[in-house]
Amino acid sequence: MRRTIVDIHILQTVPPSNLNRDDTGSPKTATYGGVRRARVSSQAWKRATRKAFAAELDPSELGVRTKQVAAELAGRIRSAAPELSDQADELAKKTLNAAGIKTTPVKGKAEESGYLLFLSRRQYDNLAQAAISASGADDGAAGPKQAILKGLANSDHSIDVALFGRMVADASDINVDAAAQVAHAISVHAVDNEYDYFTAVDDRKEDEDETGAGMIGTVEFNSSTLYRYAALDVDRLRDNLGDDEATRRASEAFLRAFACSMPTGKQNTFANRTLPDAVIVRLRDTQPVSLVGAFEKPVVADASSGRLAKAAEELAGYTHRVEDTYDQQPVASWVVHVGVGTQALAGLGREVSLPELVKAVGEEIAGRLAEPA
Amino acid sequence: MTCLLLRLAGPLQAWGSRSRFVRRDTEPAPTKSGVIGMLAAARGVRRTDDLTEFLGLSFGVRVDQPGKLTRDFQTARSLDGGKSMPLSYRQYLADAVFVAAVEGDTDLLQGLHEAVRAPVFPLYLGRRSCPPVLPISLGLCDRSLREALEEHRWEAAEWHREKLRRQPTIALEVFLDAEPGDPGAQTIRDEPLSFDPARREYGWRTVIAETIEFPNLDYNGDAGDGLNLDHDPFALLDR
Repeated sequence: MRRTIVDIHILQTVPPSNLNRDDTGSPKTATYGGVRRARVSSQAWKRATRKAFAAELDPSELGVRTKQVAAELAGRIRSAAPELSDQADELAKKTLNAAGIKTTPVKGKAEESGYLLFLSRRQYDNLAQAAISASGADDGAAGPKQAILKGLANSDHSIDVALFGRMVADASDINVDAAAQVAHAISVHAVDNEYDYFTAVDDRKEDEDETGAGMIGTVEFNSSTLYRYAALDVDRLRDNLGDDEATRRASEAFLRAFACSMPTGKQNTFANRTLPDAVIVRLRDTQPVSLVGAFEKPVVADASSGRLAKAAEELAGYTHRVEDTYDQQPVASWVVHVGVGTQALAGLGREVSLPELVKAVGEEIAGRLAEPA
Repeated sequence: MTCLLLRLAGPLQAWGSRSRFVRRDTEPAPTKSGVIGMLAAARGVRRTDDLTEFLGLSFGVRVDQPGKLTRDFQTARSLDGGKSMPLSYRQYLADAVFVAAVEGDTDLLQGLHEAVRAPVFPLYLGRRSCPPVLPISLGLCDRSLREALEEHRWEAAEWHREKLRRQPTIALEVFLDAEPGDPGAQTIRDEPLSFDPARREYGWRTVIAETIEFPNLDYNGDAGDGLNLDHDPFALLDR
């Protein structure tokens, strides 16, 4: 089984929008190459990808992030064994405590854990099963065995936990190391934020003699061509999921969801949902290589070609230079690109459409995982 | 004495040493525990594994491009968007370039140099959302820590070097492991003893900050305020 790392590079143009804002309401920015760039934080796009999984995957493969773990588990126990309904809350609390997850009582509700906890639906089902069978075996007061429960909470990870990881402060042996690494998306060029001054008119005021707006304010926005990068460590994902077929499906779902999703910040004001102009996937067996260095010198549009074309040329040139200088040739490479502006990227790999890309990457991953170690 | 030199550069990086709860700070330069963690990850050492072979390494870092301190505001919500969780403020160093030097046993460093080129766990500069820009490893050299950092070329980006081209010498800040009894040494909790999530432990490390000066190779001989005193404006009138 050879080492498999899938590098996903995306160039995506976003019109005037405020995808991801900081505590003052301004679009997030970062400085790179001495100039200010637009930025979308990695956590924002990871959440958008995670929400897109719901459309891609069977819900039994997704996880639930919540503090109300005892309520969630009690619900499962009730639906699986209705005769234990009145004991369900107590049983859920005992089971979670035995698995190493501390809970605190909350007035009027079931116990809550101190932190946001990420457990998959399958893990909840397994814990509920263990709780039910233990309550049947003895008088139920002792609760299920600790080692077995910790094992259940630590295996059979759902796909989004396996990809993005989970940090649990109080039961550390059920920490999972993320298999996907998502960088902050930054624009390939210098960006200045702009302001939209708006007024909101009171509908009833028009009838009376008063003039003026009911409310005034500003919305800050910018538009940019973003470079987005994610590295998927397929071997780590296989370790987390424990199954070759699940790893292949998870990788395909991640690729599709990462490419087509977008954070929903100020979506109704700006209607900014766009699809990527180019998706380049480089499958490697050495290390993930981010190509953001191509844009360290900010891209400047001139009269002859727009920013996207220049960005595509820079990216293609930098990719070849870096891979030749440091001997990091990929094992396989595919390019999805739209329009003639991104023509410079065509030479980087096999030109395909997005469904073909996902299928080809899935097949390559399955083939590499199936090889004997 | 052998040193392994590493170039730590990327759009964002963050090296924390004393953050608590929802305020995650960064030091102005890479920390020893952060870089050793990165090298251990390259070697395939898990967080719960033993770190003894890395304990004997000495560490120093040179600030080639100081970068800009950036603050990221992070929110977290439940998946359905209903419940909002604690807000956090995370600092990053944007647009910075550092040269780190690790001194130790030659075989160990050779192994680390090869591991960085094909790491077992993907590498990142302090936080997982900060992938590095190649090259990371700059190779081994037969020098002590201080000498290696004094002699290695300036790795700053072209725009930064262009900004400083009027200075005849460049002064770069260096943070080194202090010798016992060095005056002006500061202590930070940066000596990695264990990365085990159940029991993270860092010992006290003494650090001295020094400045290294070397001649600016881009210096264009124009130390004044850019006036070209050979220009004679009345030459045009004589024609």
